[in-house]
Amino acid sequence: MEDAHDSWKKWFQLHGPRLLLCARQWTRTLADAEDVVQEAFVRFWRQQRQLGGEPFALLLLSVRRAAIDLGRRETRRVAREERSQNDDASAENFFQPQPDAEGDERRQSIEAALQHLPAEQRHVLVLKIWGELTFEEIAAQLEISPNTAASRYRYALVALRQHLTVADCQHG
Amino acid sequence: MDDELLKLEAELKQLRPSAPSSWLREEIARELTPTKSRAAAFFLVPLAAAAALILAFNLNREPAAKATRPTTLVSAASPNSASSTASSSSASHHAKTAKPFQPVAAENVLVASSDEGLVTLADGTPARQLRQTYVDTITWKDSRTNASLKWSMPREEVRVVPIALQ
Repeated sequence: MEDAHDSWKKWFQLHGPRLLLCARQWTRTLADAEDVVQEAFVRFWRQQRQLGGEPFALLLLSVRRAAIDLGRRETRRVAREERSQNDDASAENFFQPQPDAEGDERRQSIEAALQHLPAEQRHVLVLKIWGELTFEEIAAQLEISPNTAASRYRYALVALRQHLTVADCQHG
Repeated sequence: MDDELLKLEAELKQLRPSAPSSWLREEIARELTPTKSRAAAFFLVPLAAAAALILAFNLNREPAAKATRPTTLVSAASPNSASSTASSSSASHHAKTAKPFQPVAAENVLVASSDEGLVTLADGTPARQLRQTYVDTITWKDSRTNASLKWSMPREEVRVVPIALQ
């Protein structure tokens, strides 16, 4: 029998990065995102992992609700802000650095362009690309129709391309 | 979608999200790993709750016993009785030192219970972990003004019950 206290580590190692990336779309800071991932993951692992359905989608739903709740709570605000100030600047990156300088510059451009997207477009884009959800699953997560999810995704890609083109022109 | 968007989509998929910090992994590990202190809670928390109840019960009984004294004094009092003067003095002293609020009730309410599945104890014994949430409430009352005060404290109890596999 696999030790339950080791299996969560494997699961988190595999899915933790994209879970955190999605959480960051719904929170103000990395520290906030870590808080909601911690809360949702612990609750999921203790109480919900035996439930049917796609675990990642279920966990994402839990993360989103935790993010909404977090925005309403004030008690942990000071601790979060202190930790946020202590965060390593590199840890604020959405994505892992690229090995070559040119690739890493492109990564930074993409991150900056992502930040400029309207929130509702960015949420759909992140859930689709890195959350690997279908439009139906995204629709369920965000309480919108699948068609709306699909069109927001397309608008997000178009807007991202425009931002990146402008950035490329500015850098010559 | 045009080719350019498909190319951008493919490029985005190549980016790997940053790994969660060690702080986050440690926090999750701390919460998900059954520790000795949590196992000890199985024994200590009920003992503490029992002790609190006994204390509350005793505190509740004490003022009742003291409260009988003035009643006795009133019934036994006579204007010319020397003993009643001494007793009155004692009652007056008691009235000055008596605390206005006295505990009148204590209760534990089970509000949630969940079976967290199988865990393995340090010695390799399989066990089932049960998590129960209670709200303990103690009520104090000031009999002179009828004012009451309630103290409620949530309490989580983790029971680790060893399982004998046949």
